[in-house]
Amino acid sequence: MMLLRLISWPYFRKHIVRSLLTIAGIVLGVAVFVGMHTANQGVLFAFNSTVDRIAGKTELQVTAGETGFDEAVLESVQSASTVRVAVPVIEATVDSQIAGQGNLLVLGTDMTGDRSLRDYDLEDADEAIIDDPLVFLAQPDSIMLAKEFAEKNDLAVNDTVTLGTVLGPRAFTVRGIMRSSGLTSAFGGNLAIMDIYAAQHMFGRGRTFDRIDLATRDGASIEKAQEELRQLLGPGFQIDAPAGRGRQFEAMTASYSIMINISSLFALFIGMFIIYNSFAIAVTQRRSEIGILRALGATGGQVRGLFLLESAVTGLIGSLGGVLLGLVMARGIAASIGGVMKDVYGVAQRADEVATDPALLALSLIIGIGTSLVAAFIPARQAARVDPVQALQKGKYQVLSVGESRLRALAAAAFVITSILCLTAASSRVAFYVGYALAILAALLLGPLLAQWLGRALRPVLKWMRPVEGALAADSLIQTPRRTSASVAALMLSLALVTAFAGMARASYDSILDWTTTTLNPDLFVSPSPEIVSRTLRFPGPMGETLAALPGIARVQKVRNARILFNGAPVMIVAVEIGSVAEMAPSPPIEGDATEMYRLAAAGEGVMISDNLAKLHGLHAGQVLTIPAPHGLISLPIVGVVLDYSDQQGSILVDRTVYERYWRDDSINLFRVYLTPDASPADAKAAILQRFASERQVFVFTNRELRDYILRITDQWFGLTTVQIAVAVFVAILGIVNTLTVSIIDRRRELGVLKAVGGLRGQIRRTIWMEAVSIGTLGLILGFALGALNLYYILQIVEHDIAGMRLEYVFPVTTMVALVPTILAAAFVASLWPAESAVRGSLVEALEYE
Amino acid sequence: MIDLARVTKQFDGKRNVTALHEVSLSIDKGDVVSIVGPSGSGKSTMLNLMGGLDRPTAGVVRIDGDALDGLSDDSLTRVRRDKIGFIFQFFNLLPTLTCLENVGLPLHLRGWSRSKVHERASALLELVQLGHRTQHLPEELSGGERQRVAIARALSIYPPILLADEPTGNLDTRTGREILQLIDDLHERLGSTIVIVTHDPNVAARCHRTIALRDGRIEQDVRR
Repeated sequence: MMLLRLISWPYFRKHIVRSLLTIAGIVLGVAVFVGMHTANQGVLFAFNSTVDRIAGKTELQVTAGETGFDEAVLESVQSASTVRVAVPVIEATVDSQIAGQGNLLVLGTDMTGDRSLRDYDLEDADEAIIDDPLVFLAQPDSIMLAKEFAEKNDLAVNDTVTLGTVLGPRAFTVRGIMRSSGLTSAFGGNLAIMDIYAAQHMFGRGRTFDRIDLATRDGASIEKAQEELRQLLGPGFQIDAPAGRGRQFEAMTASYSIMINISSLFALFIGMFIIYNSFAIAVTQRRSEIGILRALGATGGQVRGLFLLESAVTGLIGSLGGVLLGLVMARGIAASIGGVMKDVYGVAQRADEVATDPALLALSLIIGIGTSLVAAFIPARQAARVDPVQALQKGKYQVLSVGESRLRALAAAAFVITSILCLTAASSRVAFYVGYALAILAALLLGPLLAQWLGRALRPVLKWMRPVEGALAADSLIQTPRRTSASVAALMLSLALVTAFAGMARASYDSILDWTTTTLNPDLFVSPSPEIVSRTLRFPGPMGETLAALPGIARVQKVRNARILFNGAPVMIVAVEIGSVAEMAPSPPIEGDATEMYRLAAAGEGVMISDNLAKLHGLHAGQVLTIPAPHGLISLPIVGVVLDYSDQQGSILVDRTVYERYWRDDSINLFRVYLTPDASPADAKAAILQRFASERQVFVFTNRELRDYILRITDQWFGLTTVQIAVAVFVAILGIVNTLTVSIIDRRRELGVLKAVGGLRGQIRRTIWMEAVSIGTLGLILGFALGALNLYYILQIVEHDIAGMRLEYVFPVTTMVALVPTILAAAFVASLWPAESAVRGSLVEALEYE
Repeated sequence: MIDLARVTKQFDGKRNVTALHEVSLSIDKGDVVSIVGPSGSGKSTMLNLMGGLDRPTAGVVRIDGDALDGLSDDSLTRVRRDKIGFIFQFFNLLPTLTCLENVGLPLHLRGWSRSKVHERASALLELVQLGHRTQHLPEELSGGERQRVAIARALSIYPPILLADEPTGNLDTRTGREILQLIDDLHERLGSTIVIVTHDPNVAARCHRTIALRDGRIEQDVRR
């Protein structure tokens, strides 16, 4: 501690800018880690919290995925000996039609039974409703609002509120306002209760319920009730505690969480390089100080301990800053993730409160300090090994020794060979990931050597551009690999991440575009919701015939899709008229015979599955698929595997006849409409809207609009790439400022000589700028090279472990082309301040500087 | 050629140090002048002020009749670039540049073409008898050879003024003599005004004029 005060503190004060830059490296890593995790947790927490709050005293919930089930199931559940009370529920997220208020979560419940599960503590209501819920039932336009929502919108009892329903915007009368409680705080307070039968009508549920909430009889255990209900209802139903929905939500959004985790880990890793850079520089600059300490009797352990202690203190300060910044960032990131959940996965939630998880914050502090210690370990070891005699000699210490270079090259070669072997000879996923890690490590080991070689290759170019400034800039890079290599490595890593994600985005984008071109060829799409992926509202089946009868319409295909549980994972079941699809938009099969596949599936004698489902569950054509449905187990062979991007977790395509038979549900999520050759899409769209204007809410999308919509949400999913690019730019600036700040100190005498013999300020600035842009160039070259490799690994991970998507390897040239000026501009901006400080100061002192 | 009028130089710090006290002197064109004095007498400070490397706290420095005070940093650099060549005790060669590149440095900074720079730098290296060392780096040369390269660099612009700060201070006696002989030869051939700061009375004795400083004041001014 005494050494820290006597030795480290004066150094910190003298090099305050650089010390702050070091801390900024940790702040960056920890902030991205905390921000992304807190936001992700916040969204999951918001969903779980809503599930928990609206569950009330519910002990078990009976569901059949998202599909809902026939009303008759309620009687079976109520007849179970272990069930005390069972009430049906419809849950819909609808447009509140109030500017700035977004969606409202509407629970349709049976008021007569539901009060024993949920406490509707009414603060203000018609007296009659408090006394007798039947009054509520008798008025189908009745609604009860959470106090939070009512207060925000100045709504009182007997006021009306308009909601978007399948029947179009409908006015509901506020019959009661619920006191603030756990229930009313669900969905950020945007909660309303209406009668279940009104909800069925308003949200297009027909004679089905979304789920049944129940409580068990006294003395009956939850497990016993689950067992009895399983026996009673069969395998097509899930009987789980409310928390089970949260787990399904997490499973569904797992791929997005993995992306977030990868990004935040990379940010930490990048931060580590910035710290390593700073400490490596500090050790080289403080060699004489270390030499004096050693000469005065300090042991190597004491010197190492001093540097590690410095890094721990730096890590602590940086981590605290990172935690604070991360919490600020989390709110913005949560809004973005929430948008992805709603638009991509069709699950609405409100992450209004971003909860701070003490465990995460503690973990962040540990990770920040740990990262700092790991990063400083090698420089600290080098400091401990400083020879007191050599320490006072200036010059050569920045150069990598031949032995060190050879050792690095040998280790890198061993890693590359092992990595290739892992990829080619071993088939296990563990070997694959070991190979991936070794490939990255090899790149990091080779980084300084490659940077030196590239620097040498750049020298003639820079010298040709500017004989003095260019040559000196290149020499500065070549002569001091320790100073530049960590900055280049940090930039290389961040660009490798951006490249991989941009490549994955590009490949996904292209695949989805191909898929939409092949399969989404109807002229119009008719949906009950403005967001096509939302499955909260549905049309009744017979509406298809009305639609088909409209002028200009040649063919209507009914689509019903919903998530069900398959092998414990949420997958999408897509019920379509397969015969019609085979005629109008056949997909070339990846497995199976094109003609037979469609013939068998259309006849209800087989199912088709998406390629990603096949990949994720190891399925192939010919295998028999067993799908649990409310009205029996479906056992049908897989007759074909096709490309289908309806869902990230995979989809099962069945004929509507199969779906209607096993789910007894004829509702529709989407109509695919083909027009006659002479009909114009605009006219047909107008005709559809006019026909249903007085009956129901209808949204009509042209083919172009739907494609744009899909591509927009694809972009949204990959919006994370933007954050990564921002991190890359920040890393470039931070690393380059750090390196140049040291560079101008190291080169003070050289720059002084340059001025003494006639170098103008502009010429001095130019050599610093050129050095910065050269670092940016080296980072770009190595980053793109490592990115090309990283992209391969990421695509393999996506295919085998995340989404099962077989994506074509396409280097994201457009993004990379855009990154070149971005990074070079960032490098240039980073050099402005160091360049200014280089031209200032005493020339005499610079010439005497040693 | 060089005029100092009541020039004072103070260094600010916890204790203000006055390195030069109202010094006035004039050096004629083509003169070879030595500045001598004990450490801390203000020799190097005076040389730095003459060369425009530093600015006086008070008084005026004139080169060729033009006052240096009030000039911007770049204008001062232009004066150095066009009129002054420096020879330093520790050579101050750029370690990553070859001898040829080091000598050509001031010419490149003036924007000369590559071929002209090459021609002039090669000729100067021949002049200092290092024609065979053009592609060598400074670290591959002996101390005397390095100083020769530094002299060639100082002469590259054919400066009317050559300022040398202890040019032999870092060399052995024999090599020091060779360097002084070289400076004499160059003076005869180019006719530059030369100012040499030195501790060595033998070096001072070779000059036309010797100015002795003590505590920032001229103690003696001897012409031969």
